[in-house]
Amino acid sequence: MKHWWKFLAVALLLTASIAGLRVPLAPDLVHVSPDRIAPGEVTVTVTGYNTDFTAGERVFLENDSQRVCATSVRVIDGTHLTASFNVPAGMRKNLTDVVVSGLRYDGALFTEALGEGIASGNCVEGHLANSGFVFPNRPILYESIRNLHFHVPMWFAMITLMAISVVFSIMTLATNSLRYDGSAVNAVYVGLVFCSLGLITGALWARATWGAFWTNDVKLNGAAVTALIYLAYLVLRGSVPDAHKRARLAAIYNIFAFVLLVLFLFVVPRLNAVDSLHPGNGGNSPFSDLDLDKRLRMVFYPAVLGWILLGVWMFNLRDRAARLAEQLDR
Amino acid sequence: MRTLLLLSLLIMSSAAHAQGAAPGWLENTLYGSGKLNAVLIVVGVIICGIGLWMWRMDRRLKRMEDRMKK
Repeated sequence: MKHWWKFLAVALLLTASIAGLRVPLAPDLVHVSPDRIAPGEVTVTVTGYNTDFTAGERVFLENDSQRVCATSVRVIDGTHLTASFNVPAGMRKNLTDVVVSGLRYDGALFTEALGEGIASGNCVEGHLANSGFVFPNRPILYESIRNLHFHVPMWFAMITLMAISVVFSIMTLATNSLRYDGSAVNAVYVGLVFCSLGLITGALWARATWGAFWTNDVKLNGAAVTALIYLAYLVLRGSVPDAHKRARLAAIYNIFAFVLLVLFLFVVPRLNAVDSLHPGNGGNSPFSDLDLDKRLRMVFYPAVLGWILLGVWMFNLRDRAARLAEQLDR
Repeated sequence: MRTLLLLSLLIMSSAAHAQGAAPGWLENTLYGSGKLNAVLIVVGVIICGIGLWMWRMDRRLKRMEDRMKK
């Protein structure tokens, strides 16, 4: 069974893709209407996402740790409820949170008639029913957090292929054999396929979250420069007619290119001197901070391994085809 | 391969222009269903990209088969 890793690749991609698309987001509150309250009788409508509101939800307002309990709660359906409050005058902060059974909407209500504070109500906290295996639900990202399992593995696959290429380049220099040189360039070709997919999927995700296809983010520019460095590798190879000279020159360039890849994708974006929109870069918190129970990782790691194996498989096919073509040429 | 790179360069170059205007249809598509459509488009791009690679591999093998027949 020497093909076991190909089956593993398919199995990992299948499970990671299904889980990546099917696991629901954690319930959260997405809308509160109206958006301001004044002292007196107030009824607010709360809209949830992936919530399953049932009779008996506990709703209260919270302003600077002082609470106003709901006088009545009416559940309309699983994602909508209305709650009535008897709002007193004299709350301290001008933004009031709405809390429904443990879910909080920060600063939902602009508050009028501020003062020195109110008598805090003794409201019951309440908890939503356990929602099982869920991904974090974050503002701005929402469902697009699933792209973590599709966009990021592209880069892992690319880096693995470029690393394979560098190993072949070192072997070229060590043995002076053209055979390894061919494998090095084939790995770069497949690596650039994943690089292109990473750039395009990244641009689309950026449009959906950051608002533009391309920003001057340090990691984006690093990735673009890396792509250009490897394109220059192909141009360099094409410009040297002598096969042995080309192999040695390309191998040395490739080693430098890989060092630059590591610098541009891992070292420079993590310097605190630069700003980055990417999680985990430029002083940003990584996704692992939002995902305390590691549920994203349980899907992310299989996805990364699956895409790396698929990339190696693609390299394997291309390399074997190139070998055959060489034999035909003779 | 070349097509993919061209496409990605095209996106990079058009980004500067895209920043100012906010086309409504794009927002409606990408932001739909709690931004789930952004995920579906990304998955679609990846499948199409791998498919394109398979197509080129197919052509490469076909050329070799033709040469072997000669």
